[in-house]
Amino acid sequence: MQLSKDELLRAYRMMKTIREFEERLHVEFATGEIPGFVHLYAGEEASATGFCMHLDERDKIASNHRGHGHSIGKGCDVDAMMAEIYGKATGLCSGKGGSMHIADLSKGMMGANGIVGGGPPLVCGAGLAAKKLKTGGVAIAFFGDGASNQGTTMESLNLASVWNLPCIFVVENNGYAEATSSKYSVSCDDAADRASAFNMPGVVVDGHDFFAVYEAAGEAVRRAREDSAPTLIEVKINRYYGHFEGDAQTYRGKDEVKNIRATKDCLDKFRAKVTSAKLLENSDLDAIDADIAEIIDNAVDRAKAAPKPPVAELLTDVYISY
Amino acid sequence: MSLDDHTAAVGILANPAAGRDIRRLVAQASVFPIAEKRNMVTRLFSSLGGLGVGIVYMMPDRTGIADRIRHALETPPPAGQIWPRVEFLDMPIEDSAADTLAAVELMVARGVGGIIVLGGDGTHRLVAAKAGDIPITALSTGTNNVFPAMREATIAGLAAGLVATGQIPAAQAATRNKALRIDVNGAERDMALVDLCTSTTLWVGSRALWSAEGLDQLFLSFAEADAIGLSSIGGLLRPVTRSADAGLWLNLAEPGAGTMTVTAPLAPGLMVDIGIEAINDMRPGEAVPLRASRGVVALDGEREIEFSPTDKLSVRLEWDGPLTLDIPGVMTYAAQNGLLTRMDETSRHAKLRGD
Repeated sequence: MQLSKDELLRAYRMMKTIREFEERLHVEFATGEIPGFVHLYAGEEASATGFCMHLDERDKIASNHRGHGHSIGKGCDVDAMMAEIYGKATGLCSGKGGSMHIADLSKGMMGANGIVGGGPPLVCGAGLAAKKLKTGGVAIAFFGDGASNQGTTMESLNLASVWNLPCIFVVENNGYAEATSSKYSVSCDDAADRASAFNMPGVVVDGHDFFAVYEAAGEAVRRAREDSAPTLIEVKINRYYGHFEGDAQTYRGKDEVKNIRATKDCLDKFRAKVTSAKLLENSDLDAIDADIAEIIDNAVDRAKAAPKPPVAELLTDVYISY
Repeated sequence: MSLDDHTAAVGILANPAAGRDIRRLVAQASVFPIAEKRNMVTRLFSSLGGLGVGIVYMMPDRTGIADRIRHALETPPPAGQIWPRVEFLDMPIEDSAADTLAAVELMVARGVGGIIVLGGDGTHRLVAAKAGDIPITALSTGTNNVFPAMREATIAGLAAGLVATGQIPAAQAATRNKALRIDVNGAERDMALVDLCTSTTLWVGSRALWSAEGLDQLFLSFAEADAIGLSSIGGLLRPVTRSADAGLWLNLAEPGAGTMTVTAPLAPGLMVDIGIEAINDMRPGEAVPLRASRGVVALDGEREIEFSPTDKLSVRLEWDGPLTLDIPGVMTYAAQNGLLTRMDETSRHAKLRGD
């Protein structure tokens, strides 16, 4: 699991872009300018990055309501994402999808999804297509501990196993399904335990450590790509904000997030590891920080200045006749 | 019996996290369900309670074993069984190795006469770090372990109960183990019970050491030919028993690049070719410096310490590992001394009558 300097820089840039995007949205949402809901991915960056670093143009992902990190990881344009969240015509989906329906099929990003457990069935389809067309592609569904309880997820795990599909099911267990603790709502102790019932390996990884996720993800991707075999990986992780922006988080302990930020932050851990190993300099990472800050600033400015979708296009792209 | 200072107490540490690592993906390592750990614990209760152990201290957790035990305690034990009182230790839960360390410290402070451990090599390593001279009853919950054995919990509970209740002296029932201690920049950092391996891999990553790639040096406190994991490399070349006054250290190489190549079972279902440059006996107290300038140190199969060119590391073999119960020995002693037998009433009356 040796990464080149360029790969390390790419991983940090991806995580930092997600973090800066989400931290800025946290601030901007409070101004009331953003329509609809946003569910922030801050704190979970190592998960999307650890997986997406292994993907290429052959591969597809399906995301969930907390989809900004996955979208950035799969290469969606940050300007167009920000515009989409602001509901502007320059957005990835022409401003009609918003945060929870961001999609860019040209990048293999099959969509954020407002339906809990909506992603796993989609990757079965994408995995089946890749297998039949022999593209070598893999399909990854990112979903939460809440979705791990959904019937759609169980059916997808079963189908992927029965058909030996090149699919990876990633449970990003951040401890809460909205406000309900996964300790209460998930009947098994680790969602990864469910894999054995579907005759596939189930693994738990520390989602605060990019290198832990990257290593496990690499093996799962290899297994899918080379052997057309599915895997379930549970990433134990924490989110820094509420289920949605505006969530008072009365269900979380006092200083819970503060302590996690202080001791487990994936960006801090990454920086400490690569600089102490003398693989990167702090200045390398500082330069990325500055660059990303400017990119996000510009994305927000452009999104605010962009036009709204014209009324004449109200129904465009909404209903499709097959 | 009232729960006073004379009540026999035992600690049970069941690691909920054991058995979910990457070896389930890269090898055919077993999955050990939480439900079975819970069943093992209740079987321990039956044995311990039947022998007069009054209280069991357990580590709390957020992942299910504690809840399932509490649920089991809500209903009376099966007919004919006596279960001890069970107390979950009052401690913060971090869902990390720190929980195990804290729980063992509390068990020791409460004066337990033994600690029964359900886990793998890594869990036993953590318990050993804090158990002092409290004897450990080692139970494996998986197929990837060397230090603990796969045993029936009922029997392990009997052995632990016999010792905790003073029916068998601990000094007679327990065996001292060796330990591999690692010093970093002149200060002791950590220890391993079975194997300590360096790898040129730079990251702790997903922790379990599952690939031969980058393996550099291997230190073994004992090496059995029928073991699984890293210690099998030494075990297949020069077996060393747990009681031998020596260990092994090996310099490893790419297959074909050393003086010989051994095919070793690195994980369940995973046979790997390992090149051997050199194999040496390791004497207690001898400090062997590590030759790699950068990489990770794996303790009992789990990557734990990342080191860089500025660090100086060395490994020592010491006879200061934990005490572990010799379960067959304890049960043999119990049999020879009739500790689990009693005369039937009819037999006694017959003797009184002189029949």
